Amino acid sequence: MLAIAGWPLAQGVAFSLYDYSLLRPERKAFVGFQNYVALWTDDAARNSLVVTFVFTVAAVALQFVLGLGLALLLWRDSLFHRICLAVLLIPVTVTPVVVGLVFRALLAPDFGMIGYFAARWGFSPPRGYLGDPNTALATLVAIDTWQWVPFMALILLAGLKSLPTDVLEAAEADGATASQRFRLVVLPMLLPAVFLALVIRTMDAFRVFDIVFATTHGGPAGATDVLMIYGVKQGLEFFNIGFASAIANTMIVCIALLSVAFVFLIRRADRRANELL
Amino acid sequence: MSRRAPLRVAVIERSALVLIVAFFMAPLGWLITTAYKPARDIFSFPPTLAFAPTLNNFRGVFHYFDLPHLIQSSLIITVGSVLLSLLLGVPAGYALARSRTRRAVALAYFFLAVRTVPPVATLIPFYLMMRDVGLLGTWWAVILINTMLNSAFVVWMMFAYFRSLPKEMEEAALTDGCTLTGAFFRVSLPLVKPGIVASALLCVMFSWNDFIYSAFLTRAETKPISVALLAAYGTKDINWGTLGALAHFSTIPIVVIALLLNRYFVQGLTRGIS
Repeated sequence: MLAIAGWPLAQGVAFSLYDYSLLRPERKAFVGFQNYVALWTDDAARNSLVVTFVFTVAAVALQFVLGLGLALLLWRDSLFHRICLAVLLIPVTVTPVVVGLVFRALLAPDFGMIGYFAARWGFSPPRGYLGDPNTALATLVAIDTWQWVPFMALILLAGLKSLPTDVLEAAEADGATASQRFRLVVLPMLLPAVFLALVIRTMDAFRVFDIVFATTHGGPAGATDVLMIYGVKQGLEFFNIGFASAIANTMIVCIALLSVAFVFLIRRADRRANELL
Repeated sequence: MSRRAPLRVAVIERSALVLIVAFFMAPLGWLITTAYKPARDIFSFPPTLAFAPTLNNFRGVFHYFDLPHLIQSSLIITVGSVLLSLLLGVPAGYALARSRTRRAVALAYFFLAVRTVPPVATLIPFYLMMRDVGLLGTWWAVILINTMLNSAFVVWMMFAYFRSLPKEMEEAALTDGCTLTGAFFRVSLPLVKPGIVASALLCVMFSWNDFIYSAFLTRAETKPISVALLAAYGTKDINWGTLGALAHFSTIPIVVIALLLNRYFVQGLTRGIS
C-alpha cells in the first residue's frame, strides 16, 4: 500500500524538476527548480496562489464562526436537536459537483431564483454573482460555507458535549454570567476541538476543486483560479506536467506545514485544557 | 448547560433552528422540485414558485443518458473501493493499534496525511502509471486510486477505534484458548462494528461523490454519475430539469444512507478524528 501511495508522489517530485510536456516528449530537459521559480514570477501562478489563500482564509473563518454559533444552538439533548443535526448534515453528503451546479442555476441572472431578483433589483452585478470577477470568489466562499458549516458545527458540538459539566456547573454556582462562562471556561477547554476543526477545514478548503470546476471553471478572468484548478489545467489541458507537478508539490508542502503547525497547537491546547481540570 | 432554561429562550432557540434548517434545505428543495418542472417553468422570466408537475425530465434522463450504465459504474467503483479499503485498512489499523512501538502512532498520522494530498499531485503520475499498465479508462483505475486514499483513511479510523478497546478482552480470549486471529475475529471485530460501519459509510460517500479522479481516469463507457452530471451540462438540450432528475439518482442514495445510519455517520465524523 505504501508503494502505491509513495510511487506517484515520488514521481511527482521527479517530474517537477523537469520541463516535461506531454505534447513534445522529446523536449524533456532537466531544468532544476525553474518550475518552482515560475510559480512566483508567473502572473497567473501568483494570482492562483493569492486566490487560493484568500478563499481558504475567508471560507474557514466564516465557517468557524457560523459553525460555532450553530453548535451552541444545538447544544441540548433532545430529539428535536438530534433530528435538526441529522438533517443539517445532508449538505455535507451531497456531491460537490451537484452543489456547484445547483448554485450555478440558482444564481444565474437570467432565470435563477436568487440571481434573477438580485440582478433585477440591483443587488448583484449585471452578469450575476458568479459572472463578475469582483464577486465570484466571495460567492464561492458562500457556496462552500453552505456545504460545510454543518460539518464544522458537528465537530464543535462534539467538543462541546465532551466538556465536563461539573466545571461548568461550578462556574455557574460561583455566579459567573453566561458570557463569562463562555469566555473563561468553555472556550479554553474547547480549543483542541476548535483547532481540529480548523485544521481539517483548512486542508480541505485549500484543495477545493469540484465546486469551482462546476461553477466558474477558474474564471471570470482568473478570479476564482484556485491552485487545484490551475494545476489541473496546466497538467491535463496544457500538458505541462513539470509545472503542474511543481504546483502540486508546493501545495503538499503548504498543507504539511499547516498541519504540523496545527497539530502542535492542538497538543498545546490539549495540555492547557487538562491543566484547567 | 443548565437544563432549566426559561421557556422563552427555548422557543427562540428552536425557531432559530427551524429557520436555519429551512435555509440549508432550500437549495436542495429547489433541486428536487426542478426535476418535476416543465422547461417552461424552469426558465420562466421572472422565476416562479408554482408549476405544473411533469415527469418529462425523467423521461429525458433515460433518453439522453444511459442511466443503468452510469449507476452501474458508480456502484462498481464505490463497492469495489470500499471493500478493498476495508480489507486493507481494518487489519492494518488493528496492527498499528496493538503494536507497542512508538513509530506506530507516527505511521497512523502518516496515513491520515496521505489523504490530504491534493489530487493534482497524484493524478498526473497515476494517469501515466495507469496508461503504462493498460488500465487507463477502466473501472480498476478509479477503484485503485480511491482504495489508496480510502484505505489510508480507514487505517486511521480503525486505529482510533481499536486503540480504545481494552486489551484485556483479547487477552481473556487468548487465555480461553483462542488463537490470535481467532481473538481478532471473534472478540475485537464485533466490538468495533460501529467503527467499521462509520468508515464504510464515509468511504462510500467519498467514492460515490468523487469527481476529479473519475473524470480523468475513465472513458465514456466507464463514467460514473458524478462525472456524467457535469459532462452533460451544456450539450444539446440538456437543461436544468434533466440535470435535476439526474441529480436525484446521484444524491438521494447517499442522503438516504446517511440519514438511516446517521448515528454511525455522526460518530464516525467526530470519533475518527479525535
